[in-house]
Formats: sequence, C-alpha cells, structure tokens
Amino acid sequence: MTTTRRNALVRPCTIIYLLLIGLTLLTWALGRFNDRIGLPVATLSMTVLGIALLKGQLIGDFFMGLRRVRGAWRWVVTLWLLLPASLIGYAFLSSY
Amino acid sequence: MTEKNRQPPGDLAIWIFICAELGVFAVFFAAYAFTRAQHVELFNRYQQTLNSNYALINTLALITSSYFVVRAVAAIRDDHQRSCARWLGAAIAMGGVFLVVKSMEYHHHFSAGVTLSTNTFYMFYLSLTFFHFMHVLMGMVILAAVALKARRGGYSASAYTGVETGASYWHMVDLVWIILFPLVYVMR
Amino acid sequence: MKYQSQSVAKLYFIAAIGLFVGQILFGLVMGLQYVVGDFLFPEIPFNVARMVHTNLLIVWLLFGFMGSAYYLVPEEAERELVAPWLAKLMFWIFLAAGAATIVGYLLLSYSDLAKLTQDDLLPTMGREFLEQPTITKLGIVVVALAFLFSIGMTILKGRKTVVNLVLLIGLTGLAVFFLFSFYNPENLVLDKYYWWWVVHLWVEGVWELILGSILAFILIKTTGVDREVIEKWLYVIIAMTLITGLIGTGHHYYWIGTPAFWQWWGSIFSAMEPIPFFMMTIFAFNMVNRRRRNHPNKAAVLWALGTAVMAFLGAGVWGFLHTLAPVNYYTHGTQITAAHGHMAFYGAYVMIVLAMISYAMPMLRGRRAANSPRSQVLEMWSFWLMTVSMVFITLFLTGAGILQTYLQRYSDQPLDFMTVQDKISLFYWLRELAGAVFLIGLVIYVVSFFAGTDEPEVAEKVEVDA
Repeated sequence: MTTTRRNALVRPCTIIYLLLIGLTLLTWALGRFNDRIGLPVATLSMTVLGIALLKGQLIGDFFMGLRRVRGAWRWVVTLWLLLPASLIGYAFLSSY
Repeated sequence: MTEKNRQPPGDLAIWIFICAELGVFAVFFAAYAFTRAQHVELFNRYQQTLNSNYALINTLALITSSYFVVRAVAAIRDDHQRSCARWLGAAIAMGGVFLVVKSMEYHHHFSAGVTLSTNTFYMFYLSLTFFHFMHVLMGMVILAAVALKARRGGYSASAYTGVETGASYWHMVDLVWIILFPLVYVMR
Repeated sequence: MKYQSQSVAKLYFIAAIGLFVGQILFGLVMGLQYVVGDFLFPEIPFNVARMVHTNLLIVWLLFGFMGSAYYLVPEEAERELVAPWLAKLMFWIFLAAGAATIVGYLLLSYSDLAKLTQDDLLPTMGREFLEQPTITKLGIVVVALAFLFSIGMTILKGRKTVVNLVLLIGLTGLAVFFLFSFYNPENLVLDKYYWWWVVHLWVEGVWELILGSILAFILIKTTGVDREVIEKWLYVIIAMTLITGLIGTGHHYYWIGTPAFWQWWGSIFSAMEPIPFFMMTIFAFNMVNRRRRNHPNKAAVLWALGTAVMAFLGAGVWGFLHTLAPVNYYTHGTQITAAHGHMAFYGAYVMIVLAMISYAMPMLRGRRAANSPRSQVLEMWSFWLMTVSMVFITLFLTGAGILQTYLQRYSDQPLDFMTVQDKISLFYWLRELAGAVFLIGLVIYVVSFFAGTDEPEVAEKVEVDA
C-alpha cells in the first residue's frame, strides 16, 4: 500500500486538498458576487451550508482518517456536522 | 489497508476532548443562528462590514495547514522524522498566517470603535472568532510540541500516536472554521 | 508512609475533621432558624450562624487541601518535604487565627469586631464569604506563602510528575486569586466583579485542579493503573475545566451591572462546565474497572468514586439547572442556589478531602495500607449516611427553590418573600431532618477512627481473573 501510494502520481489526500480549496473558492465567490449571480438568498445560504457539510465530511474522512475507523467513532464528525447544520438550517429558513 | 480500527487515530483522550470542544462550538453556532433569526435586519446590515477576502485567505490557510499535517503523519508512517517535523513546521507557519490575517481584521474593526457591546451581531462575531482564534493558538502550541519531539527523533514508523493526536486536534480546529466561515461571512 | 515528613499531614487532617464537625453543628442551628426564627437568639443570630457555617467550611477544606498536599507531594516528588518545621508552625498559626476569628464572630457584634481589628485601616470586611477581619486575611496570605514555599521547593527539587505540577498550579492560583479579597473598590459593580474572582475562580477554577490532582493520586495508588494513562486524562480534564470554568465566571455577571455580552458568554461556557465533571466520573470508574490490584482500603476507593459521581451531580447537573441567563433571571438567589451549593461543595470538595484522609490516615497512624475491617465498615456506613442525606438535603432545597421561584417571581400574583418562606417551611423541616441524619453519619465517621484500632488490617486480595 505504501509503495503504490508513493508510486501514484498524486496522493489521494492531495486530491482531497485541491477539492477543498476549490469548494472554498466557490463559497467565497457565491458570497462575493451573488449580486451579479442573483441567487435567492435562501438558495445561496443553503448552498454554502451544504458545501460546508461536504467539506467537513471530507476533512473528517480523509484528513482525520475516520474512513478507516469502524464502530461509533466512524460517524462522530458526520453526527457533529448534522447537529449544528440542521439547527442553523432551521433557524435561517424560518427567518425568511 | 482494508482492515479498520475500532478507535480513531491518535489518543482516545484527545477525541473525548475534541467531542467536548465540538459541543461548545455547536452550541455557539446554534445560538448565533437563532439569535440572528430574531434580528435579521441587524445581522444582514453589519455582516456587510466584514471583509470576506480576509476570511477566504484564512480558510485557505487553515485547509493548507491541515493538508501539511496530513503529510506530516504520512511522513512519520514512512519513518521520515525530519520530514515529519518540516511538514509540521509548515503547518504551524500557516497557522501563523491565520493569526496575522485575523489580527489585521480585528484591528480594522477595533479602530472603527467596535466592541463586544456595540451590537448583538458584533458580540457574536467577536466572541465566536476570538474563541476560535484561541483554539488556533492552542493547536499551534500542540503542533509545536509534537514537531520538537519529532525533530529529536521521538517518533518512528512504529510509534507515532503523538503525531496523530496533535493532528486530530488541528483538524478539529480546521473543521470548526469550515462551518464558521460560511455561517458568519456568507450566509444571509 | 514512605517519607517521615509526610506525617505533618496528620495534624492538618485532624483539625479539618474537628472544624467539619463544628460546621455541621452550626448548619443545623441555621437550618432550625429557618423555621424557628428566634432559636438561640440573641446569642447566635442567623447571620452569625451562617457566617460561621460557611467560613468553617472554607477553612476546614483549606486544612484538608494543605494536609493532602503535605502527604501527596513528598510521595510524588520522591523526597522529604522542604522545611517540615515550617509546615508545623503554619499549622498552629492558621488554627489559632481561624479559632480567634470564629470566637470573634460569636462573642462580638460584627461592627465591634471590625473596630477591634482596625478594619478602617484597610477595609476588607463586610462581604459575603470574605467576612474575615483584615488581619485574619493577612494571616491567611502568610500561611499560604509559607505553604507554597514548602510545597513548591519540594516539587522543584524532586521528581516532577503531572499530579504534582497540576496541584502546584491549583494551589498557586488559590493563593493568587485570594489577593483580590483585599481589593475593595467603592463602586459596587466593580466590588462584586472582583469578589467573584475569589469566590468563583476558587471553586469553579483552581480548586478543580486540586480536586483533579488529588483524585488522580488516589487512583494511581489504589488501582495500580499506569501513571501515563491517568496523567493523560488529568490533562484533558484540566484543559476543559479551565476553558469552561474561567469564562463561566460570566454566569455571575448577568444582573450586577456588567455588559450584556456576559449573558451569552456566561450561559454558553457555564453550560459546558458539567463536561469536565462528567469526564472525571467516566475517568474514575474506568480506572477502577481497569485496576491491576485490589487495594485493601475499600473505604478510600468508595470515597474516590463517590466524589466523581457527586461532583458531577452537585456541581455539574445542579449548576446547569440555573446557569442559563433566561432561567437564572427567575431563580437567582433562591433556594435552588442553596441546593446547588450544598451538593457541589459536598460532592466535589468535602468528599475528595475525606477520600484523601481515608487513604492517608491508616499510613499516618502506622498501618501498612488500610484500617481494620470493623473501622472500614463503619466508615462506609458514614459514607452512605452522609451522602444519601446530602442528596435529600439537596432535593428538599430544590423543591423549596422551585416553589419559591414560582410563588415569589413567576405566578400571576407574586407573593412577598416572607409569605413564601412560610409556605415552603415544610421543605425546611424535612431538610433539617436530613441534616440530623447527616450529623449521625458524621459522628459514625469520627467513631470509625477509634474502632478496631487493635485489630489487624484487611489483607490485599490477589486478583483471580487477572
């Protein structure tokens, strides 16, 4: 495993890293240029919240290494992401 | 690499601590969101005084430093102690970038006369980001301790729990910011 | 006992138990005065009984902490105590100053005591829990400095362990924060603001470090679990304690004229204060379950597990009950506070000191590791009597507090304070009854030191399913 990884052109974690960078730029751009893009605020907010959930899951799985864990700890980050995100989502949606 | 562990990487104690910390931030985030729902106008108006360019740089800095920490763990797994220490050093430097940029942002707001008592939005903005700021600082101290030990050859391919422990804490600091960034700077 | 100088702890422990008995007697007097207002009036008015009850608690716990430190530090540092004569001298100074202060409370009116002790030179009296005359406060500082010198030098010269360092940080913090009792500004908001730096930062900050390190020491000794494992937990618990406890001071800053953000900071951080206590519970039971030996001192292990549970309930759960600002708006200063105060002090600090006494006393009295079975059985009886009656005291006061909050502050036709006090007097009677049972438990506790002293001690059983 170690050898294949070393021989591979790009490490999996590097791909994840680039993905995270891309998603971050996307979030920033949506916030920065929405007056030109013109998404409804609710759509904008829920989109960036969704992106944040995806990013959090990637960090948990690949950076924190939870995808190689079984049992209750496997889902600790997922659970944590869902808890505040559902509260945040509810609070924002109820405010429009 | 197909076999799975029962326990997450690093010391179990740090994971208990991580859970507790994540709990505090979850409460803080929910408090922000529900308070905002009662003061939508105020939050939307003052959110525009924040500069999301700073936040972008900081998000990139934290993600990059997390990536460096991943590489540090990979290096020690291959028994490369010096390389591990160097990756950790780079991660700490990115943490430093975060602190500098955040301080500039604070300076901007403080010189405009903003305090915790200015209004509810600024109260949350300052409290949340400052609490996170202190975590970045603490994470850097932990990483520095791990890096020093790695440089002295304190870890090896067969004993690197300490590196994973520090790494897990640092990723948690990153994880929290990943939610904080859209919540405070973008969502409206 | 490995080091000769550890024996100074014995003096401190005996004084602590003696003052504990005094504290409980005054508690019972006050408890009765809640329902029979002129009981012992004018000899011991309610305010004096209350002052003696609370001050004795603090003083005997301090004796207990000091005794614990004098026993624990040499053993951890693996060397004799630096200047044990100083420890003995300070013991007598502290005891004399404490006794004189209590006698002053009882024989003089408070204003005469202030005049007699020249309080106008540096006014520090007249504030809840810090009622001691300025000269007593100065005495406490001298004792604390000498104590820190002796403990600190022993730690610095000896083996440095996490238990010792955490204990030293806790004790240093205790001394430093006490200095704020000398700061007595004219502005009432500032006065209260810094008053909490003594009161809150003691019991919800640095004392928790002392609690953590003593608990860790007892668990290392009685379970035989690796020091590294226990130290790791200690780190995590301490970090969480400091994060939540320091900013948690905010839960005292809701209604005293401080900025509004404290309502958020106080609510959020103090809502997290139960977490380190919960970790402590899990930690203690985990270590006992993973034990490598069955220590013959069953009573000490019982106290250690007891403190882990009761501290979580009393400090954690009962604290959380009224810590959120919107709840505290109604419950502030009612009997709910008294309920929390009783169980938190008993669970966190009384029990940890008794655990340490239970662990150390047999050795200090020349035994190998534990008392005779008869003595231990009595001690465990006293554990259950005191603990269960404290649970009932807490429940009755909680009932009184809920009713008081409703009748006096929440109902459509709020009643005045004294009318409400009359209506909840049944709870006060029940509390006094539970208090009497507590006293019986305490008497049995004291008796346990004199029972079976000539009988052989419990032998250590060898683990069968190792």
